[in-house]
Amino acid sequence: MIRTPLRPLARILPARERGENTEEIERENLRRRHAEMQDRARSRAEGRLLVLGAFFTVAFAVVGVRMGMLATTVPVEPMASAGGSVIAAQRADITDRDGRILATNFETNSLYAQPPMLVDPVESAKSLVKIFPDLNEERLIRDFTGKRKFVWIKKRISPEQKQAVHDIGDPGLLFGGREMRLYPNGKLAAHVLGGARFGEEDVNAAQLIGVAGVEKQFDGYLADPANAGKPLTLALDLSVQAAAERVLYGGMRLMNAKGATSILMDVHTGEIISMVSLPDFDPNDRPAPPTSGFDPSVSPLFNRAVQGVYELGSTFKIFAVAQAMDLGLVSPETVIDIRGPLRWGKFRISDFHYYGKEMTVTRIIEKSSNIGTARIAQMIGAERQRDFLGALGFLEPTPVEVGEANSGKPLMPKNWSELSAMTISYGHGLSASPLHLAAAYAAIANGGHYVSPTLLKQSGPQYGPRVMSAKAAANSQMMLRGVVTDGSASMGEVPGYQVAGKTGTADKPKPQGGYYEDKVIATFASMFPASDPKYVLVVTLDEPVETSGTEARRTAGWTAVPVAAEMIGRIAPLLGLRPVIEPARLAEVRLTSN
Amino acid sequence: MSYLEYNVKSTPSGLSKVLYLNWGLTLLIVSVAGVGFLQLYSVAGGSLQPWAEPQMKRFALGLAAMLFVAMVPIWFWRNVSALGYAGSVVLLIAVELIGVEGKGAQRWIDIGFMRLQPSELMKITLVMVLAAYYDWLAPNKVSRPFWVLVPVLIILVPTALVLKQPDLGTAILVLAAGGGIMFLAGVHWAYFAVVIASGVGLVAAVFESRGTSWQLIKDYQFRRIDTFLDPASDPLGAGYHITQSKIALGSGGWAGRGFMQGTQSRLNFLPEKHTDFIFTTLAEEFGFVGGVSLLTLYALIILFCIATALATRDRYSSLVTLGIAINFFLFFAVNMSMVMGLAPVVGVPLPMVSYGGSAMLVLMAAFGIVQSAHVHRPRGRTR
Repeated sequence: MIRTPLRPLARILPARERGENTEEIERENLRRRHAEMQDRARSRAEGRLLVLGAFFTVAFAVVGVRMGMLATTVPVEPMASAGGSVIAAQRADITDRDGRILATNFETNSLYAQPPMLVDPVESAKSLVKIFPDLNEERLIRDFTGKRKFVWIKKRISPEQKQAVHDIGDPGLLFGGREMRLYPNGKLAAHVLGGARFGEEDVNAAQLIGVAGVEKQFDGYLADPANAGKPLTLALDLSVQAAAERVLYGGMRLMNAKGATSILMDVHTGEIISMVSLPDFDPNDRPAPPTSGFDPSVSPLFNRAVQGVYELGSTFKIFAVAQAMDLGLVSPETVIDIRGPLRWGKFRISDFHYYGKEMTVTRIIEKSSNIGTARIAQMIGAERQRDFLGALGFLEPTPVEVGEANSGKPLMPKNWSELSAMTISYGHGLSASPLHLAAAYAAIANGGHYVSPTLLKQSGPQYGPRVMSAKAAANSQMMLRGVVTDGSASMGEVPGYQVAGKTGTADKPKPQGGYYEDKVIATFASMFPASDPKYVLVVTLDEPVETSGTEARRTAGWTAVPVAAEMIGRIAPLLGLRPVIEPARLAEVRLTSN
Repeated sequence: MSYLEYNVKSTPSGLSKVLYLNWGLTLLIVSVAGVGFLQLYSVAGGSLQPWAEPQMKRFALGLAAMLFVAMVPIWFWRNVSALGYAGSVVLLIAVELIGVEGKGAQRWIDIGFMRLQPSELMKITLVMVLAAYYDWLAPNKVSRPFWVLVPVLIILVPTALVLKQPDLGTAILVLAAGGGIMFLAGVHWAYFAVVIASGVGLVAAVFESRGTSWQLIKDYQFRRIDTFLDPASDPLGAGYHITQSKIALGSGGWAGRGFMQGTQSRLNFLPEKHTDFIFTTLAEEFGFVGGVSLLTLYALIILFCIATALATRDRYSSLVTLGIAINFFLFFAVNMSMVMGLAPVVGVPLPMVSYGGSAMLVLMAAFGIVQSAHVHRPRGRTR
C-alpha cells in the first residue's frame, strides 16, 4: 500500500519551481490523506462488522433451531408432584364397604396478603369485605396499613371467591394452594367420620389432622403418604346409612325426642353397617366443641351410639334369662313366682303392670317383668352375673375404631351386691352405650359368640370366645321373637322379616340424684330375621313422648319400636334380605291377644 | 474536520427528503408492528381493547416521531449526542429519587401523558455518544489505553445506575451494546479477550464457590440459576413462565393452531402474555412458520441497517446505525431466548410487538436516526 506522504514534496517542489500555487496541491494532498485514513478505518470496521454479522447469524440460527425443536416436541403439562412440598401429600380417602367415597380431598386455596406489596390497601380491604362479609373491615384496614408483612385472610376459599379476589387486581393479595378434606355426603355418617382440621400450615400447603371419628383413630394410616392410593374401607353401607338416618330423623321428630341413635351390626362379623347419632353435624364444617360448664351430650358432636352411656332398662333382661338357661337354672317353661312388690331391705321392686302370681320365663321376657327377672338374677348371683356381662363386653369401653370410644366407659356399682345384681338384671344400676348393647345382642343372635364391634370391613365371621351355649342363645332368640309377636314390642313386627327384640324404657337419672318421672331413654334392641339372625339393630330415643293418644306415652313399645320397625322395613331390602312368607298362626296357639 | 459539512449541498433538502427515506426499512418496521397489533388483538380475545388500539395509536405517534427525527440532519444528532447522554444520566439519577416503583423495581418516571423509562432512552443515547466519540477520535488513537478508558467510563456509569434500580437484564444489554460499538470502532482485540476471559473466570468462580466458605452469591440466587438450568424442577413456581411458554410453542407445532386459537395464552396460563411473552402466543397460533417469519422480518431490519451503515462514508452515521441495530438485535434475541428457555427470564420486551409505549417510542426515534443517516448520507463525493 502506497502511503500518501505528509507533504507531497515531489509535487510541491516542481510546482514551486514553476511558480504555481502550491496550496492547491497541499489541500488535495490533505484530502487524499484523509480519505486514506478513512479507508483504513473503514476496512478495519468492515472486518469487525463481518465478525458481528457472523455472531448475528449464529444467534439467528440458534433461535431458529430452538424454535424448530420446541415446535416438534409434544406439549406435556408438568405435574405438580414433581416439586410439591412434603406437607401437600394427599390424605387417603375413606370409602364405604362398596368403595363409595365418604371422605376425600379437594384442592382449594388460602388467601393471604403481603401488605407491603398492596397497591391500594384501603380499597382492597373494602373490596374484600364485599366478597367476604364476615371480615371486619376496620381490622383489615389496620392490618393492611400497619407494619405487618403477612396477614392471613381466609384459610379456604371457593374458586368463585378466588376469581372475585383476583378481579380486585391487587398484587399484594395472594393465594396459596392447599388441600382440604371434603365429605361429599355432607352430614351422612358424620359421627363415624368425625372430621379433620388444618394442622401445620404454610402458604402453599397445609397438613390435615383428623380430630374425631375414624379420621382421628386412623390418622396415622390416612396421613401416611404410602397409603395415598389405598383408601380406608369402612364396614358402613352408604345406602343403609342414608336410609337409617332418614328414618331415625323422622322418628325422632315424630316422637318429640331430643336425641336418637341407631346401630346396625352384622352379628357374625361385628361390622357396623350403619351408625347414626342425632342431632348430627356436617363434618365439612364442624361446629366448635361446647365450652366447659355445659352438658357435652347436648352438642351435635356427641356420638350417642358410642359415648352416650345410659341405663338401658329392660333390654338387659334377656341377659339374665340367657345366662340362667346357659347355667341350666331355668328353661323357657320354668315357672317363676312374680308376686310383688319384691322387697329387699328398704328397696322395692315392682312391675309396670300386674301380671298375676307366676309366669313362665318366656312370658317374663315377653311381658317384661322386673320381679321375675330379679328372681332369676338372685338365682345366678352377683359374681356370675358380673362375669357374664363382662364377657359380653359391658364392663369396658367398646373397642370400636372411633376416637371417642374410650369416653364411652360404662358406669357400674363399685360394690356389685345382690341388690345390684337384681336391679342390673332389668337394666338399672349399670349404664352402657347402645353399641355395647348391640354387641351383646349380636352374641345372642349369632349363637353365643362374642363379636367385637368394628367399623372396618371384614372378610368373614370374626367370632370371639363363646359366652353362652348355642341352645341358650337359640332359646333366647325364640323368646325375643315372642316379645314382638306376643309381647311389649308388637309394633315391631315387619311382615316378612321376622323381627325379634326386647324393649327397654329407663327413667333418666337426675343430675342431683333420683329419677325423672317424665324423662325416659327408650330402647329397642332387635335382631332379624329371627329364624337365622343376621343383623342386630338397636334404636334408642332420648326423652321421647308419643302424644297421638289421650295421654302421653313414653314407653319403648310406643316410641322406639315403631321407629325400629320402619327402619327395618326400609333397610332390609337394601341389605339383600328377602321377605319370608310365614304360615298363618293357629288361633289356639296364641296365648293372649295384645 | 468531518467531510459531512462539505457535502451539505449535495443532500436533499426540504420536503423532498421524504422521497429519500429508506422505504424498505419503513415497510419492515410497519410489518413487524402489524404483527404486534394482530397478536394484541388475539390475546385480548379478539378485541381491540384493551391493548391493540392504544398500541396502534402509540405506533402512529412513533411513526411521526421517526419521520421528524429523520428530517433533521444527522450532523445535528451527532452534535447533540453528548447532551442526550448527559440528559439520560440525569434522568437515571432522577428515577432513583422520584421514580415510580413497578414490579418491585424503580424504573419509571411519570411525565404526565406517559411513563418514561430512562434506561430505554439510555440504550440509544449511549450508542449516540459513543459513535460521536469515535467519530471525533482520530482512528490511530482508538486503541490507546487512555482513549479506551474514556468510553469504558461512559458505558459503566449508566450500567451501574441501571443495575441499582435493580434491572440486571437491561444493565447487561446496555453493557453489551456499548461493548459492541467499541468493537466495531476498532478497539484492539486484546481488550475484549481480557474482558471476556475475566467474565468467564468470574462465572466459574461463582459456581465453584457454591457450598464453600467463600460463597460469592446468596443461596436464593443459586436457586434461581438452578431453575433457569432446569425449569422442570419447580414447574409451578419460578419455572412456571418458561414451562408454560414451552408448552405453547410445542402445541403450536409446525403451522400453529390458527389465528385466535391459542389455548395456552388465551386461557391465561401465560403471565405477561401481552408484553414480554407475546412471542409465545404468536408461536402457538402460527407455529414454527410464523415464528421464523417474524425472525426473518427482524433479520431483514438488521440487514437494512447494516446496508445503510455500509452505504455511508460517515463514521458517525455508520456507527450509530450499527449501534441501533445491535440494540434492536439484543432486544429480540434476548426476548426470544428467554421465551424459549435459552436465557433466564429478565424482562425484555419483544421490540415493536410487545404492548408498551416507552420502549417502542424510543426505538422508533432511534430508527428515525437511522433514516436520517440514510437521507443525509454524503453524496457525490469529490476526490
